[in-house]
Order: sequence, then structure tokens, then C-alpha cells
Amino acid sequence: MEGEEFAVGCLLSIKTTLGDEFEGQIISYDRLSNILILQEGLESGPRRNIRLLKANYIKEFSLLRQDEDPLDVKKCFLDLTSLQAREDSAVRQAEADSERFGVGVTSEAQNLFDALSKTLPVRWDKTVIVVMNEVRVSSPYLPECVSGGTPAANERVKKVLELERKRMQTRTSQ
Amino acid sequence: MNIPQALLPKSSANGFPRRRGDREGGARLENKVQSGKPNQGRIQTSAEVAGGKAGRCESSSRDRLVFLTTCLIGHMVEVHVKNGSIYTGIFHATDAEKDFGIILKMARMIKEGTSQGNKPVTEFVSKAPTKILIIPAKELVQVIAKDVAVTSDGFASELQHEKHQELLIDSVISQSRHVGMERELERWVPDEDVPQCPELENIFGGSRNRNWDQFETNQKLFGVQSTFNEELYTTKLERGPQTRELEKEAMRIAREIEGEETQDLHLAEERGFDLHNNLDIDEEMRYSSVFRGRGFDDSGYEEEEDIKLDSHNVETFGDSSDSLSRGPADLTSFHLVDEAPSSQAAIGADLYHTGFNGQSKQLASEIPSESFSVSGSESRIQDNLLGEHGGSSDAKGFAQKQSPSVDQQLSNAIDSHSLLNDKFEGSDKAGPPANPTTQPQANFMSKVSEKPASSGERSEGPAANKVTGETRSVNSCGQPVSSTSSNSDSVAAVSASSGPGLSPSSSMGSLSSEKSTLNPHAKEFKFNPNAKSFKPSQTSVRPPSPVSDGSFYYQTQATPVPHMHMPVTFGIGPSFPGHQPVVFNPQVASMQSTQAYFHPSGPQYGQQMLLGQRPVMYYQPEMQYKGREY
Repeated sequence: MEGEEFAVGCLLSIKTTLGDEFEGQIISYDRLSNILILQEGLESGPRRNIRLLKANYIKEFSLLRQDEDPLDVKKCFLDLTSLQAREDSAVRQAEADSERFGVGVTSEAQNLFDALSKTLPVRWDKTVIVVMNEVRVSSPYLPECVSGGTPAANERVKKVLELERKRMQTRTSQ
Repeated sequence: MNIPQALLPKSSANGFPRRRGDREGGARLENKVQSGKPNQGRIQTSAEVAGGKAGRCESSSRDRLVFLTTCLIGHMVEVHVKNGSIYTGIFHATDAEKDFGIILKMARMIKEGTSQGNKPVTEFVSKAPTKILIIPAKELVQVIAKDVAVTSDGFASELQHEKHQELLIDSVISQSRHVGMERELERWVPDEDVPQCPELENIFGGSRNRNWDQFETNQKLFGVQSTFNEELYTTKLERGPQTRELEKEAMRIAREIEGEETQDLHLAEERGFDLHNNLDIDEEMRYSSVFRGRGFDDSGYEEEEDIKLDSHNVETFGDSSDSLSRGPADLTSFHLVDEAPSSQAAIGADLYHTGFNGQSKQLASEIPSESFSVSGSESRIQDNLLGEHGGSSDAKGFAQKQSPSVDQQLSNAIDSHSLLNDKFEGSDKAGPPANPTTQPQANFMSKVSEKPASSGERSEGPAANKVTGETRSVNSCGQPVSSTSSNSDSVAAVSASSGPGLSPSSSMGSLSSEKSTLNPHAKEFKFNPNAKSFKPSQTSVRPPSPVSDGSFYYQTQATPVPHMHMPVTFGIGPSFPGHQPVVFNPQVASMQSTQAYFHPSGPQYGQQMLLGQRPVMYYQPEMQYKGREY
């Protein structure tokens, strides 16, 4: 393992103890923390897939070839403010998104929710999908489970639900 | 660079990562990151971060680690932990000084690695995202991040990408580092499989094809009962026996209209005509810019003004054509206007302020406005004043055109003044003024006097009736041709020279038009020997003006009803900047009698003397009014 710190640029094929297999080019290896930084895919490009791997989880590896340093140190600049901004916006985005995800619901339920939300205003109430603030669809989200709201609204939601289920079925069966 | 310390749960007993919704901790970490903000640009090295480890190689590798983990901040990452679970979240921080534990924000577990094995995907139950998730280094197996910007160009492109992704708040937008980063615009090209220029009508089988009823469809699909009633939104069609013919007729008319030729680019395009005779027309011209007509530019604005003026004139004075105004001799008065091209704009303000030159200018400008105001609302006056601006400038232009001939007349500026005086004399005018050139001025003057009178009317109650009188006289002034009451004599005399002054407004208007200097609608002036001479009414109230011509007002007040025949003109000579040359014109004879009233003007007297290079002239005119009919 120690040789790695000199082997920046080496292309390795690695198997981890958890069962992952991948190839990557070494960007750096930090002995102190035992972290190996790999870059997947060929270098180039300003954007790369980075993997930080704790070296002690490497089950086996093999050297594929030796290339040059994938990291051009001269071009490495960091703008902390933009990083911070990026993080902030990501957090904001995630928070907004979290409204859309039900907690403790199956992914099927989530899919139904997403489909309904395309045309109707929906929100989660624990595990119940609330449509237009009146109609409630509870688990297991079958047309029979639609309740509340005016008859017209109720009917509408039922119809949409049926359609959506049908569509999902055809999709999964494809 | 200062990477915040992770709050590592050293005391975690089991191998599971501790979840801490520790906001405080998070805040602290954030603070540390923030403090690192000032250090923009290259990462500070390693020496401090490396924590005392010597050796360049190690420090450089450490550097890289630090660098790369910093690159990950704000990025969505996947973290594998020892027990097989996988979390995804936003990379927030790592403990670079110790062993690189990880902190994620808004983390979710996407795979649960428990000893029981994985559950089928569909049954996986979602959980609320954890605000802050701390993963100790011991648990950490790997961190995977996709599309990480590692180099500066990567950052740039990422910034752009982000910029367009979410809503930008102002402070973000205004950050100057974003300035100048623009996209390269590309022309839109339709997809390959889309037919070229599909006609909307064809797609839906033509509008005539009524096979598809949207309401029906909606009802079927969603059970929505429509309450749409066409007649709520448009005229009710009477469908009787005539329907067919009416429809045919309508179609015919429609076809006719649509087949008409047009010069308008947009209409032509709609109808299928190709008007693109010159290749100057690009896309912008065709579809987005405002069409301004041929040879049209902003100077055409004046023309409009003049038209407005003209209409105003017509309203005020009735429809009369004034051939007089065409006389070249008229230029004298205009010539004066000629003097100072610029400050026309300051009509309102400057009216009473300027010097001699200004005087003349204002003279001209005032006059038109005065004439307009006859009927009187102040707003009208204002409008006129403003409108006059264009008008007067035009007049000026007109004057300029003929300046050569008028030049000599300049010396007769006196005349104009005398004219002014004459006007005020109004009633004093015995016969046609000797100097034809003065006429126009006189006309102006009368008008000028009129105006103040009328405006004064409002301010001074008693004068009310006078106004009407004024109006009448003014009218006549305005239309020398009509030669009703008022300065007919002078007017008549003027006929020869005729002045633009006669109907300054209209003449102004017509003058302003670049196309012809003559008012095509003007009637030829016919001298009317029977016309009454002009008798200005007493109330020579000046129009309220910013200039406090105390003296004027004083005078007006001083000229009560009894002095009907006083050359009220004193007060009337408003347009003159504070100086009422008019005042002077008052018959020297009457001077004595009106001594009292002259006082206020006394100083003006002197002022006027100072004013001009031709103070003397003021007295001359008197001689002309011998035939005054008072």
C-alpha cells in the first residue's frame, strides 16, 4: 500500500470488501487517513467522478497501467464563496424537495403521489395523500381508498388514480 | 484553509453512524467554513493542515485530499458505511485535521445494510431526510461523487449550470463575479422528426373539423360537467332563415379584407404577400421591432404639435384662414423670435425673465399661447405654452428662413415694440400704423394683452366680464381676417404686411410644418374698413406666472373698473418679461393722468430703458395712435 503514494496516475482495478468493483485512476493517497482518492473514467474534462475510498477496505487490486497525474495542479483553484453558495442552494433545494417525499411510505406510494402531483395539487399527510385539500387517499392507495371531498372531486381523483395504476402496470410489465 | 472540526461521536458504541440533528454543531461548522471564505483562490497549504507531518510527499498528498474534499462541498454524494448502508446527501464538511469523518446535510439512507439483508425495493419505506448526518471516519468506507468540478474551468461551467438551475435571488444575481458570464446564444432549430412549418390547422384537421368536442372529452375522462356558454362571451348570433346568406356575405367580406394589399409588413406576411422588397429587413424588423413608417422620425413630433395647435386655434378662433400670416413681412415679429433658438423650452419659466432677446422670443411664444388662452382655462394655457414650444420653434424656423429680408427689419425692432405698445393702446389706435411691420407685433401684443386679461380674469373677480370682452377682441386679433371689433385698424393696416402675429397660433402651426410655410387653409385676408378698432378691456390681468412681476399685479389691482379706458394695456403687457413695454406705450398723454398707476411701472420704465437697446422706441408708437377711438 505504501507504494501508492508515489503512484499518482496509476490506473487500478479494485475490489472492495463490500463487494464493489471498479476502476479508477489515482489522484492521491493520504497515508495518514488511509484514504485513496480515485478518479473514475478517463481524465479530461473539468468534471469527473471522484471516489474516496478507505484503503483498508480494499480486498484486492491490480495495476492496469501507469498514466500521468490526472490532476493539473496549476488549474486547481477553489472559490469558497461559490462553494458555500452551492451548498446553500443544494440544501434549499433539498428542503423543498422533502415536502414532496412521504415519510414512511413505500416507493409505490411515492410514485403515485408524483403522478398525481402532475395535474393536481397534492400533499402528504403522514402516509395519506391529500388531494386538493379535500380528497384523501390512504394506504394501500387503491381507488377504493379514495375518500372525502365533493363527489365530483372524488370521482376525478379516483379516475386519475386508476389511470395511473394502469400506466404503472404497463410500464413495469414492459 | 480552515476546515471545521467534525464533532465525532467517539463514544458511539455500536458501529452505526450516529445521527445527530445537532443544529448547533452544524452551525458551528458552518461558521468555520465561513471564516474560511476570505481565503479565496488557492488553498493555503498543507503545512498547517498536515498537522505536523513532515515530508513534502505526504503533505502534498494531504493537500490533494483536502483539495478534493473541498471540491465536494455542496455536492450530492453517496457515502458507503461499514455496515453496508448507503447514505446520500449534500457534502457539508470533513474533518481534515483528524481522520476525515464526514458530515452530510439532508441525508437519506437509500440502502440499508443490515444483517438481515436487503429488503425489496418496493417495500422500502422512506424516511425524512436527516438535517445533519455525521459519519465517523471509522464507519466510512467510501464516498462517491459524480461530476465533480475539479479544475477551474469545471467550476466555471458549474457556476453557469447552477445559475440557470434554480431561482436566483437578488443578492446572488448582483454578485459581481457573475457579471459577464453569458451563454452563447444559438439559433433554435426544430427537431429532426418534426415536419417543416407544420400548419396548426392541418394538425387538427382544420378548424372546420368539429369532430372533437373538448367538453365532451373532459366529461368522459374526468366527469367534469361543463358550464360553458358561448353567448356569454360573444354576440348572440341570430340563426334564422337568413343564416346561410349572411354567412356567405360575411365570408365574402372577410375574404375581401384578407386579400387586400397592404404595406404593413406583418399584415402582408399574414396574408401571404411578400413585401420584402429591400433586403434590409431582418428577423427583428419582421417580428419584433416597432414599425415606424417611412421617413418618419422624431422630428415629426413637431408636426403633430402643430396640428394640435392648429386645432386649438380653430377651436379658439373659429375656422379662418389667414393669408396674412403668410406675408413675408410678418417675419419681423418672428424674426425676433429668431434670436435665441434655444430657450424656447423655458417658455413658462423664462417668459418673464429674459432680456431683450428673450423678450422677443417670448413675445412670439407668448403670443400664441395668449391667443389660445382666450377661451381660457389655465390648463389650456399650459398646454398651449407647451405646445407652443414646438410651434414657436417652428415659427422661429420660419422666421429664419426669411431672415435675410427681415434683417433690415431688425432695426425696426422698435417697431415691434411699438407694435406692442400699439397693441396695448389697442383702443388708441387711430389708424393703420405707419409701420406695417409693427402690425404683427401689435397683433401679438393685443393677444398678449388678451391673455393676461383672461387669465387675470380668474384671479381677479371683477374682471370677469372683461374677459369676454377680451375674448371677443382677442378673437378678432387672432383672426385679422374676421375683423370684428378690435384692432381692425391696425390689423387692416397690417394686412399688407400681415403678420404672423395675426393669428400667431395658426400661423405658428402652419409655420412649423416643414412642408409648407403657408397655411393651406388660410383664407385670404381682406381688409375690412368697417372693422372696429381694438379695445382691450380693462382687466389686463396677467396670467399667473412664476415670475413675480409685482409691478404688474400691482398695476392690475390699481386699475379698477373706473379706469376702463385706461390703457389697461399696462397690465396686459404680460408676456414681456416683467417689463411691459406696453406700459409705456400708453399714451404719453394719459401718462399724466395715470400717474398713480405708473408708479409701479415707473421703475419698470427705467428697467425697460435698461433693457434694451431701444428704450426710446417705446415712445414712438404713440404717435401712431392718434386716431384712436377712445
